[in-house]
Amino acid sequence: MITQTIACPSCKNRVTVQGNPGEKIYITCSQCYTKGFFIFPEEKLISKTTVNAIETKNLTKFYGKNKGMENLTFSVKKGEIFGFLGPNGSGKTTTIRTLLGLLKPTSGEAYIFGRSIRDDIVEIKKNIGYIPGDLNLYGHLTGKQFLDYFISLRETNATLLDELLHIFEIPSDRMIKEYSKGMKQKLGIIQAFMNDPEIVIMDEPTSGLDPLLQQSFYEVIKKEKTKGRTIFFSSHVLSEIDKICDRVAIIRDGSLVALEDIETLKRKSGKIIKAKIKENSATFPGPEDMKIKDNWIQFVVSDNIDQWIKKLAKFTILDLEISEFNLEDIFIHYYEE
Amino acid sequence: MSSTWKTSLFITMRSDENNMSHLRIAFQTMKDYWKMSIILTLIFMGIVAMYSAVYPAFKDNLQDMASTLGVKFSFIRGLEYMTTYPGFLNMELYQIFWILILGMLIGFLASSLLSKEIEAKTIDLLMSNPVSRKQIILEKYLGLIPFIILINFATLLTVYGLTVAIGEKINLGYLIMTHAVSVPYFLAIAAIGLLISVIIDEKIKASIITIAIIIGMYIFESISLLIPEYKSMGYASLTHFYNPADILIKGIVDIYGVIVLIIFIVICLIISMIYFDHKDIAIS
Repeated sequence: MITQTIACPSCKNRVTVQGNPGEKIYITCSQCYTKGFFIFPEEKLISKTTVNAIETKNLTKFYGKNKGMENLTFSVKKGEIFGFLGPNGSGKTTTIRTLLGLLKPTSGEAYIFGRSIRDDIVEIKKNIGYIPGDLNLYGHLTGKQFLDYFISLRETNATLLDELLHIFEIPSDRMIKEYSKGMKQKLGIIQAFMNDPEIVIMDEPTSGLDPLLQQSFYEVIKKEKTKGRTIFFSSHVLSEIDKICDRVAIIRDGSLVALEDIETLKRKSGKIIKAKIKENSATFPGPEDMKIKDNWIQFVVSDNIDQWIKKLAKFTILDLEISEFNLEDIFIHYYEE
Repeated sequence: MSSTWKTSLFITMRSDENNMSHLRIAFQTMKDYWKMSIILTLIFMGIVAMYSAVYPAFKDNLQDMASTLGVKFSFIRGLEYMTTYPGFLNMELYQIFWILILGMLIGFLASSLLSKEIEAKTIDLLMSNPVSRKQIILEKYLGLIPFIILINFATLLTVYGLTVAIGEKINLGYLIMTHAVSVPYFLAIAAIGLLISVIIDEKIKASIITIAIIIGMYIFESISLLIPEYKSMGYASLTHFYNPADILIKGIVDIYGVIVLIIFIVICLIISMIYFDHKDIAIS
């Protein structure tokens, strides 16, 4: 048996009702006579369902004739750290702002925990934390006043506030306009995580943080992930995506060009072989895309590595490097054309 | 048919939720304007004090002034009563400082309600909270109401206090009505400011446009009073629906005017909400 306080959708009159999980009851409001129903929740609704944290279907946004993003289809699984990679102007921020209901999509759909951003945005925001790329806070408030204001606007308790204030120290009694960029960024992180939301959407959150704080920030993210929270992380800094994300989407010119596990992406992309030989570099029968730079032979192999090593063995090798593709190489690969 | 029997989903509420939390944006708006409200209120009390205090010295000259100006210059309502104390207050205080200058100040404040947040981009974070766009509009507007009430009440008290102090007579009921009916008038002005602040993202632009509208309306009303052929122009002005001269001097309240103002407020709020609901909060 669950006891639940519910409110009439039109006059907000409250009633306390009892029922079993999943049970549907019909109610007529005693004040405004609105007829309605209420379904008792199945324990924790969100954790039980298998819906994706974010799901977009052909999400498109045009600013007049200018394209922000086009036909973006991807899904973010619950409990993963999802990297959203692309240079400035590629459509990352447009996507994030559309997901948050700041921009209205031109066409297509997006769902956050199964709820449509078109119809249910207020309900969605109860479970979202957000760090905007261009973080602007109320300069005339102190850090404490700002946090108090935002806590009062959210409908859940700020359970992580103390912990976050301990990690990211801010001068909470000073006016925000006196804060440095790093302090503001810390405050931005605190407000996004303080309610322990199901998902945190971040647009370039580490800009302005010193390396030490970046490290603490990654740790907070990783800890949230172990609790089953979802992180959507946009960045143009490849190394940090590489370091913390499970999967990455690469966006280019408003469209998705890749969506993969970071490890798979690297494996698929193959290995880079660099060799320096005593003989004339040009005489080595390498693949077509072989490059010669400062007498170093350089080429990419995706499968048969053995064949190339044996070919190289016929020469006098002065130096040899075999390395994995890093995210930067992959990124450049997708952006070259 | 059962399918036409519309049902709606009742909303889950946390039982410990504070009822007042729904007005947090309104409270914050009120706090943001608090200092400005106090300063403006004090300035207005000062202006009132000045006018009431000079009346005894001015009294004898008013007769001459009235005959010089003549009834022809009737673009200020109630000018013909300027030789009486309520008429003097009406001319010096209510027709200019009250409906025009305070109107402009309220318009100025209202025109920054949304544009300030959009220009400073703080709207991004505000909207990441579980609040609807309609709620933001409504609460921002509500946040300005305490100032309108405060300045009304303070000015009313000052006027009455000083009237007693200088030994003049004024009908307290008429005075209270003059201030009470000015509330819907100022709310209508604030509604214009709000609407402009939703449409125009730049604070300064929004303020200039709002103030231009208020001055424009005042000029329209003046022209309509001055030139009988243009009498209908007055309907384009909000001042047409609030006449402190009639209320303060004769005790006549234009009930239809009040209704028009209230309808105007509702329409402005609805348009603001619809417009904001469809607006892209773009980054520039």
